[in-house]
Amino acid sequence: MNENQLVKLAQAGDFDAFNLLIVGHKDKIYRLAMKLTGNREDAEDIVQETFLKAIDNIDKFRRESSFGTWLYAIALNNIKAQAGDRKKMTLKPIEEYLPGGHEAGAAELFDWGDPHKLFEQKQLQKLIESSLAKLPHKYSVPFILRYIEEMSIDEVAAAIKLSVAATKSRIMRARLALREMLSEVFKERANERVQ
Amino acid sequence: MKECNKQIEQICDYVDGELDSSLCRELEAHLKDCKNCRIMVDSLRQTVILCREGKPERLPGELESRLNSALKRRWKKKFGKK
Ligand SMILES: [Zn+2]
Repeated sequence: MNENQLVKLAQAGDFDAFNLLIVGHKDKIYRLAMKLTGNREDAEDIVQETFLKAIDNIDKFRRESSFGTWLYAIALNNIKAQAGDRKKMTLKPIEEYLPGGHEAGAAELFDWGDPHKLFEQKQLQKLIESSLAKLPHKYSVPFILRYIEEMSIDEVAAAIKLSVAATKSRIMRARLALREMLSEVFKERANERVQ
Repeated sequence: MKECNKQIEQICDYVDGELDSSLCRELEAHLKDCKNCRIMVDSLRQTVILCREGKPERLPGELESRLNSALKRRWKKKFGKK
């Protein structure tokens, strides 16, 4: 049975059809909520609220997007309402993340080599988690959807309700900011090793 | 060096394999002479790879059963029993 047929059945009150629709999305929404809130309790609330709201609003789903995108949009609204952007970093102007730095004659960038030689896998994962958590949601959300959940740019844009161009730009800024945060840590570690 | 900054969007597209082939060749020519942009390409690629590593988190079992009973209750409330 395809998604459209399941949606029709669910809208008519078939709970099994609804469960089939959401089964592939439970883990994904939980992962996103965990990444953004960093704790299980908040993530649980967000998952629960998201699917309860999906039930409340199932008749309003018009099939203009995929069911998954619609769920993400609900989840993101919940996250916004619940967490906000407390204690997040402010991103620098984009030029400062770029290879040329400020002007000609900019310093040479640190060459990463293989970061796995600098840190153990577990430490690397922790570092990634904490760096992602520092980004404001408006940047981390599209980045996570695009590269970790592997959604297309169009799907991400639909989920966060922005144009494709604006979505691409947010993803790029998130990526540049993350790159720089990681680069600083790697560089410091490499220097410690040399000494 | 200044030119490099204009290329950043292309560099990101290039890393994702989404850059047109003619622009790809242009960028690759630039990369040959520009170490910073080469480092940028490598580290932007690795940024995403590192984020994808580690095992994907899954909804814990007890949480899922709590979720399922909450959903069932809400469904009954909305549609009556079926
Ligand atoms: Zn360059």
